[in-house]
Amino acid sequence: MSTILIRRLLLLPVLLLLTSAAIFLLPYLTGIDPTMSIIRARIGERTVDPAAIDKLRREFGLDRNLAGQYVVWLGDVIQGDLGFSYVSRTPVALVIGRGLRVTAVLALTTLGLAVLLALPLGMIAAYRPRSWLDLLITIGCQASVAIPQYVLAPLLIWLFALGLGWLPSSGWRGTQFMILPVLTLLPSPLAYFTQATRAGLQEALQADYMRTARAKGLPPLLALHRHALRNALIPVVTLVTLWLAGLLGGSVIVEVIFAIPGLGRVLYEAILAGDLPLLQAGLLLLVGLAILINSGTDLLYVLLNPAIRLGQKRS
Amino acid sequence: MTITIAKASALPATHVRPLRTPSQRSQRRWSFSAWLNLLILGGIISATLGASWLAPFDPTQQTLPDRLHPPAAQHWLGADHLGRDLLSRLLYGGRSSLLLAAVAVLVTATVGVVIGSITARVGGFLDEAIMRLVDLLIIFPHLVLALVIATLLTPSFGALLLALTVTGWTTYARLARALTLDLLARPFIEAAGAVGVPERRLLLRHILPNILGPILAMTFLRFGHTLLTVAGLSYLGVGIQPPTPDWGAMIAEAQPYMQRLPLLLVAPALMIFLTSLCVTLVGQRLTHTFDPRQW
Repeated sequence: MSTILIRRLLLLPVLLLLTSAAIFLLPYLTGIDPTMSIIRARIGERTVDPAAIDKLRREFGLDRNLAGQYVVWLGDVIQGDLGFSYVSRTPVALVIGRGLRVTAVLALTTLGLAVLLALPLGMIAAYRPRSWLDLLITIGCQASVAIPQYVLAPLLIWLFALGLGWLPSSGWRGTQFMILPVLTLLPSPLAYFTQATRAGLQEALQADYMRTARAKGLPPLLALHRHALRNALIPVVTLVTLWLAGLLGGSVIVEVIFAIPGLGRVLYEAILAGDLPLLQAGLLLLVGLAILINSGTDLLYVLLNPAIRLGQKRS
Repeated sequence: MTITIAKASALPATHVRPLRTPSQRSQRRWSFSAWLNLLILGGIISATLGASWLAPFDPTQQTLPDRLHPPAAQHWLGADHLGRDLLSRLLYGGRSSLLLAAVAVLVTATVGVVIGSITARVGGFLDEAIMRLVDLLIIFPHLVLALVIATLLTPSFGALLLALTVTGWTTYARLARALTLDLLARPFIEAAGAVGVPERRLLLRHILPNILGPILAMTFLRFGHTLLTVAGLSYLGVGIQPPTPDWGAMIAEAQPYMQRLPLLLVAPALMIFLTSLCVTLVGQRLTHTFDPRQW
């Protein structure tokens, strides 16, 4: 187990280096000239004096060859200098940090609510399989996964903001601004968590050790709590960590619709404006988060269930 | 999901096919609702394919006097903010997204299966490295990656296809790898190797046919997801480009007129919802049918 874990951890820096190279090469892979996008971002699509282009190129170090540029960029990144946004000319780290904080609040609230609701729902469904309650919960799960955010959000705005006037339709200035975005983000993770809880619990309930526990005279609820839940919840915990990564970067649509100044919207605007330093830093952050969460999940898996050797996980 | 795959591949090598219990047999039978899903899906697909015959209007024809016309005899579902017939746009709008999603799912599945089964067979460092990449890509927010790729290579069918493939192949690779590893431990593969079946034939004739069932089920499950991503990209304005009508873009366009004519938003939303729900349900049905644990 430990050798596999060590090998995995050793591969991570290699992977990080490779992805950083890919992110750095992004503009060159897509044929964007960084110099021109700086100029375009600053003064619009006017024709520019070639001498000025050369000067800008030297100023930003874009006249060096690619390998040289990459080394300089990587060195800066490692020292925590992510550069300046082409568009707003503010330090990228500041913009990204501000966005991440907003998105983290949104993601953690959504995840917390999803877990709190999914556990009882999944338990009800697993405890009475094939009952009408189970059926209702299962249908609800299927439907929530099929409703995309860009459908749900306008409908919620229409109902609660425009129709009833209870909640603000967009912005980010307080708790009531969070309700509609969280309601939009919630259905998908809620459905996945509920189904995972239900599946895990149903399997655990049929296990031999549950029969033993019941035969010893343990009351059903206590047996559920002490034996079944602990085993059933391992997949749910991994699922939650995966969703954390997904929500931190993947709330683009919700943030765009509700005008929330989060990481997703920062990235979206950087993409549209061709703001390369901002985009590269954002992508690097997301890759770093993905790696961190991935290794964290591996470790968590071992911690939660010592019986699972990492080698048997096979994926 | 990791769990079920691990379970499936942890079957003992000398696994004997058990007699099916009645409950398993009934799980295999397609229920009324499964057929209904397939029927709705077939209806939606044929309606969008036959759009040029069914649609009463040209979906891009603007009739400004009919702006935001409520449903009436002439415009069955009404007309949008440029006076374009909503019904015609709905019919045509499914075409591009469904086609793109279908092509993307097929390409993605092929790439994933090839990579997954080969790495499972080769093993070693290549396998380890590719699986770590898969771990990473699966966690990385797909929409962001697709946005980056689709935008930086000016939006087009090819760019969207590339974006969807880069984000989507990992799921198939993981599944194909797990299924192949399971098969590789079976006696018939060992026997084939022992009598000298060449490597390529082993993969194509002995392994591939045996993993296709679950892969097909996964393809249906992913189709719904892909469709939502395509429509999402169109909604954000980097997917299928106007004037080609598209459900995702129609939702974005309808938003400002939501209060005056809600149907403009509700109709495409309902189409996306119904299609992705039906495909997913059919996929789940297929997953049960091809569940490796029931072999």
